[in-house]
Amino acid sequence: MAANSVEKDMRDAFGATLVELGHKHKNLIFLDADLHTSTKASYFKKAFPDRFIQVGIAEQNLFGISAGLASEGFIPMPSTFAVFASRRALDQIAISICFPKLNVIIPGSYVGIPTSRAGGSHNSIEDIAIMRAMPNMKVADPLCNNDLSAIMRTALETGGPVYFRITRYDVPEFFSDSHSFEWGKGITMREGSDITLFGTGVMTWKAMQTAEALEKKGISAEVIHLASIKPIDRELILKSVSKTGCAVTVENASTSGGFGDAVLEVISENHPVRVSKIGVVDSFIESGGIEELFSHYKMQPEHILAAATRMIQLTT
Amino acid sequence: MTLEKEEIKKLEEYAYQIRRLSVEMIAFSQWGHIGGAFSIAEIMAALYFREMKLDPRQPKMESRDRLILSKAHASPALYACLELAGFLPKNSIYKYCELGGLEGHTHVGSAPGIEASGGPLGMGLSVAVGMALGMRMKENPRSRVYCIMGDGEINEGNIWEAAMSAAHYHLDNVIAIVDYNKAMAKGFVWDQMNIEPVADKWAAFGWNVIEIDGHDMEQVVNALHEARWIKANGKPTAIIAHTVKGKGIETAEFNYKWHTHAPDAETADKFLRELSRTYGRPEQGYSKLNLKNTKDTFYGGE
Repeated sequence: MAANSVEKDMRDAFGATLVELGHKHKNLIFLDADLHTSTKASYFKKAFPDRFIQVGIAEQNLFGISAGLASEGFIPMPSTFAVFASRRALDQIAISICFPKLNVIIPGSYVGIPTSRAGGSHNSIEDIAIMRAMPNMKVADPLCNNDLSAIMRTALETGGPVYFRITRYDVPEFFSDSHSFEWGKGITMREGSDITLFGTGVMTWKAMQTAEALEKKGISAEVIHLASIKPIDRELILKSVSKTGCAVTVENASTSGGFGDAVLEVISENHPVRVSKIGVVDSFIESGGIEELFSHYKMQPEHILAAATRMIQLTT
Repeated sequence: MTLEKEEIKKLEEYAYQIRRLSVEMIAFSQWGHIGGAFSIAEIMAALYFREMKLDPRQPKMESRDRLILSKAHASPALYACLELAGFLPKNSIYKYCELGGLEGHTHVGSAPGIEASGGPLGMGLSVAVGMALGMRMKENPRSRVYCIMGDGEINEGNIWEAAMSAAHYHLDNVIAIVDYNKAMAKGFVWDQMNIEPVADKWAAFGWNVIEIDGHDMEQVVNALHEARWIKANGKPTAIIAHTVKGKGIETAEFNYKWHTHAPDAETADKFLRELSRTYGRPEQGYSKLNLKNTKDTFYGGE
């Protein structure tokens, strides 16, 4: 699957899709905790001022209010940086929203490495692990703008609680405008036979770059994009590793309990093969430049390539 | 507003039944919080059997009043009301804390008529604010959202985030009730974390404040009436209800050791007999006294 050369900030796609969904779903309410120009929810505020609720810098209240609105039949979308959703307001998300299984759609902005210079307090790396551990919660991490838009449309159709990530990173467009997203369904981005690279979020792009580099070395890598982390595409994962016999997982997040472990849970029980996990290893992300940080935390294509080569060597 | 003696008597009878059923379910399940359920018995009776518009046949009807028991550990008082009001079949209370029954802390999935899941303190008022905003957007001017909080619960920062936002959005359809029973889980409020001047705090956050004796039925009813009709001035209203933890059973009164404590069958029997004497009823003990208890006991208290 070839990438389009157009690069656009995912936040703009978020704002534009919000407006589209606002027209379609009249009961969609956007809630903000003093960040709407950063998250680009400002588009929604401009289009639907009566359906935009500002709660101030109070994330616990943000999610509690959302629970109340959902139980009144609205579809609230409480928005904040991913760190504040997953760290500050987790109890409210767990008990006020997930326990009663309320229709709340949670976008987590500014995730992982590309949050870059803000430093460890603002770089969300645990959110995948935390959110997928919440019963009733569905979790997704989009690769590119059209992936994000499709996730948002599906989330509104299938209902919450849903958590999805928005990365402030310029990623080429991999999908068409008519791209659709289905919970629990992955996408084979590239077929291969020697190793599977499972990617989620923007890291699938780095997996694609890795596959191209591996090809030059005569190694055939299959790349599978799993935007839907929970539920996860068990069938596609097992089908691929049955063919390739080893794998690398890549995520823009901590390797503790996150996407890699979600893939491993499927593999270890059903078809054990060697798997290496690429991501942030038990560390806060320090301030720095984006690509500099990807290199520092060993998450660049060269690192994925090294892990893939090692897995293949250990397997054969 | 002067209440007829008969009406007060009727509501006090409900408060008595709320206490009785609370002891029955806590003793039977061997888990629960007697003190905090007893301190809100009059408030719950006045809400469920006079003030709130409810219909057990239509638990989700739009024009209903909503109640969030933010101090969700006082769930026995709520379950008792739901059973007495016909939301739950008779004897449902013996499913308290049983698998598939009524959750230890109130949960939406446990029974019709429960508006929010809770347990971790400090969350309910935010949910109430969300409901109130939603009701306003639906142009439902009549319904009110009641939120009952513990005194210790308002140590939580989330409460004050919610309080600030209710005033900011002029939510005069929100009525918060602070059950000021003076005792927390492991000590008295002034020792654990002082909340005074509590009335001034709510007023400073932009709320109307009414201070009452939460066990005086006439005061409770009048405060609820005032909060709904008189104080509807664009501000939310907080009722500070001075109460006694464990009110109605001498050994439990004003005693934080009865915050979390399940009485054994003999103690439950003694408590219920004492309650009936206090209320001038024929002496009646624990209905399951002769049932052999095989359940594990869990004492969160001392």
